[in-house]
Amino acid sequence: MAESIPTVTAIADVEFGGELPAFTPDTSIDATRRFGQHVGWNTPRFTDHDGARKEGLPGAIVPGVMSQGFLGAMIHRWAPTAEIITIDTVFRAPVLVDQPHKITGVVTDIDEDELTVEIDLTVTNEAGETRVFGTATARLPS
Amino acid sequence: MAEETVDQDIQDLRDQFLNREFDEVTFEIDGTRFAEYAKVCGETATKFTDPGDPDFQAPPTFVSTLVGGRSMPPDFPNLGGMGMDAGKLVEWKAPVRDQATLTGRSHLHDIYTKTGRSGRMVFLVTRMELYDSDGTHVANADTRTVIRERPRG
Repeated sequence: MAESIPTVTAIADVEFGGELPAFTPDTSIDATRRFGQHVGWNTPRFTDHDGARKEGLPGAIVPGVMSQGFLGAMIHRWAPTAEIITIDTVFRAPVLVDQPHKITGVVTDIDEDELTVEIDLTVTNEAGETRVFGTATARLPS
Repeated sequence: MAEETVDQDIQDLRDQFLNREFDEVTFEIDGTRFAEYAKVCGETATKFTDPGDPDFQAPPTFVSTLVGGRSMPPDFPNLGGMGMDAGKLVEWKAPVRDQATLTGRSHLHDIYTKTGRSGRMVFLVTRMELYDSDGTHVANADTRTVIRERPRG
């Protein structure tokens, strides 16, 4: 998993249109099995490629709640002091297990009075197809 | 400004079901569970991953993993299509701590439609409001379910 370098500790560090360091989430079968063991969603469609194919899927898929967790982690890796106030996640298409995915993010608004920023986040596969899209509002120190 | 029009059947569902609580469930929060959630999702801050951190708390998105007893009111009609999870929204209000007891109360928060080439899709937004044992409102966790209606006739 790629390590991002925290660059933001206060709202003054944030630039409108600025991009967050890209994040490569762990979409391996080991990760979804660990998620299934400790958190839930421990069914073949998430933890076993053959089992998922029997359900008509192209292979095991990452649980949506895990993809949402990736988005939150990306924000915290970029800005460790950020408090995520809202995060909305749209599941457009399955995130396939054991396929490389990348998350990109861009700052779309800054409210210096409320000390909040809005961020658009996109999970794409190797073909560049959007699988999950998110919008978050986070509060940062002054 | 153009006035938004709502199909009459959807308006009837909204009138009958929105903001009517239909489920209440209790969750005993286990810090080892949310720490594993944090690590597997890629969180690196110790306040999310290390029970020894003085500010140890669940990542805000963790509440999306809390599942209620039911996702729809018991008398909600069958809309005739396959329901799929279209998305999750979290509104974070206060930290969720290890060994907290949370109460989740669910209601339908919104019902709306989108119409595309393949017909109408109905979106149902189920909101679980989460409160700690002091009554503090710690989060809202929304699940958006989409139902693609079968063509009629």
